[in-house]
Amino acid sequence: MQLPLLFSAKKAHGSSTFAALRCPNGSVFSITFSQARDRGRTSLPTIREAFLQMCNLPVRVVCRANAEYMSPSGKVPFIHVGNQVVSELGPIVQFVKAKGHSLSDGLDEVQKAEMKAYMELVNNMLLTAELYLQWCDDVTVEEITHPRYGSPYPWPLNRILSYQKQWEIRRKMKAIGWAGKSLEQVLEDVDQCCQALSQRLGTQPYFFNKQPTELDALVFGHLFTILTTQLITDELSEKVKNYGNLTAFCRRIEQQYFEGHDKDSSATASARCAKRSLLR
Amino acid sequence: PSAADRNAQACFLNCCLTLACANQIIFCNLLQAYAKFAGAPLIVNTINNSWSSPKADVPVLISEDIVISQPAKILNFLRKQRYNADYELSAKQGADTLAYIALLEEKLLPALLHTFWVEAENYCSVTKPWFASRIPFPLSLYLPGKMSREALNRILLTRGGPPLYSLTEVEAQIYRDAKECLNLLSKRLGTSQFFFGNTPTTLDAFVFGFLAPVYKVCFPRVQLQEHLKELTNLCRFCDDILTCYFKLTVTDG
Repeated sequence: MQLPLLFSAKKAHGSSTFAALRCPNGSVFSITFSQARDRGRTSLPTIREAFLQMCNLPVRVVCRANAEYMSPSGKVPFIHVGNQVVSELGPIVQFVKAKGHSLSDGLDEVQKAEMKAYMELVNNMLLTAELYLQWCDDVTVEEITHPRYGSPYPWPLNRILSYQKQWEIRRKMKAIGWAGKSLEQVLEDVDQCCQALSQRLGTQPYFFNKQPTELDALVFGHLFTILTTQLITDELSEKVKNYGNLTAFCRRIEQQYFEGHDKDSSATASARCAKRSLLR
Repeated sequence: PSAADRNAQACFLNCCLTLACANQIIFCNLLQAYAKFAGAPLIVNTINNSWSSPKADVPVLISEDIVISQPAKILNFLRKQRYNADYELSAKQGADTLAYIALLEEKLLPALLHTFWVEAENYCSVTKPWFASRIPFPLSLYLPGKMSREALNRILLTRGGPPLYSLTEVEAQIYRDAKECLNLLSKRLGTSQFFFGNTPTTLDAFVFGFLAPVYKVCFPRVQLQEHLKELTNLCRFCDDILTCYFKLTVTDG
């Protein structure tokens, strides 16, 4: 059973979105689903929405500026269900599973292990590459990230907060050994990751054949964001576009789960959130 | 063993692999294992003077005039020289290899770093003396401490942060993740001899590289080792590789 999903932007300039969700059986089970403005993690909202959509759980996304502070772990997006607040994909998946919805029940043990391994690959390579591009590539940082990140705040707070975030991310990159990488090496890693995903997907509709799983939601989230985010150059999205089956995969999921659900946008959300689509 | 037979390349590489096993213990094992699977003739030298290691970054592969210092690059180099353990893998299996390697790095590595470099008893009684005995004075006074701090830093930066507020909570989480990772590996291995059939590949080298230190080194604090010993197929996997390819029982490094 599907209720309309408010699918608003991955790129909510200067604002964040939070959603309300009604339980399919009509009981009061309101879920607030928050996503950040581009806090260097633009793909995560899409992943959550995709995952919740695939579970047939209706999600309503609304904009809020202080989403990061509402979240228990400081990370966005998060979902708000009744009295509970759950953030980050792993815990959200567990939470939804505890309520009786799961996408990976049909998999056997070896397939579950494989699914988890691929999820780590995506987190390891794609997510880190996205962060690198947003925060460690000087041109992108100056022209896109700083203005976007600091946009809700007045000067000088906007500069201070974005420099702080940048310093934090760079420290982390240094700890894992990515600080010394050049942009070409990062793009090569992305290419390697996309190649692996493309080979795994092959000609199947989803990664584990007929039914979507958490992995599909995760990959969709990242790839969709990469394909639709406007950056200085198109190199990153070109890497993904090299693999036809991956772009077809994204298009298919967008059509199946997100088309036709946009009409329910609330005024605040649609006013501030730009929408993009792969189907132009 | 058949891995050597599969190797196509005839030319002889005069390779020296310099080792100074820090958290590179893993990579050194891995590289040795990979080289053995692929039949690359490697001479392993324990480092005598780590000043000579370029950028003090180990392990290092020196082949004639070329010096390569990162494990992934070393593997690529060996492959290009046609010492390749993955000839017979399909594209999907190659993709699986990458995925499982990412799993090892994300889930198992923090706990390994912690066991070797952060856990106080282990560090003081095993890692530090062993490591310090293999590098020259005065580096032996400074380098172990630096490695330890870097390991802690890495763990906290990648795994710390809310809702985990103290080191003990982070530690509990990373060990949980490591045990889950070991369980997943065990399920994936099942009853086969290696991860992709009967011949060892890059993934086997990686898994061996990560597991062997946990399996063989005698630490005072051994929760991960105990968990590993319950997964008999992984233990059998390590033992097989040690007896077939290393022909000795390794103590450490």
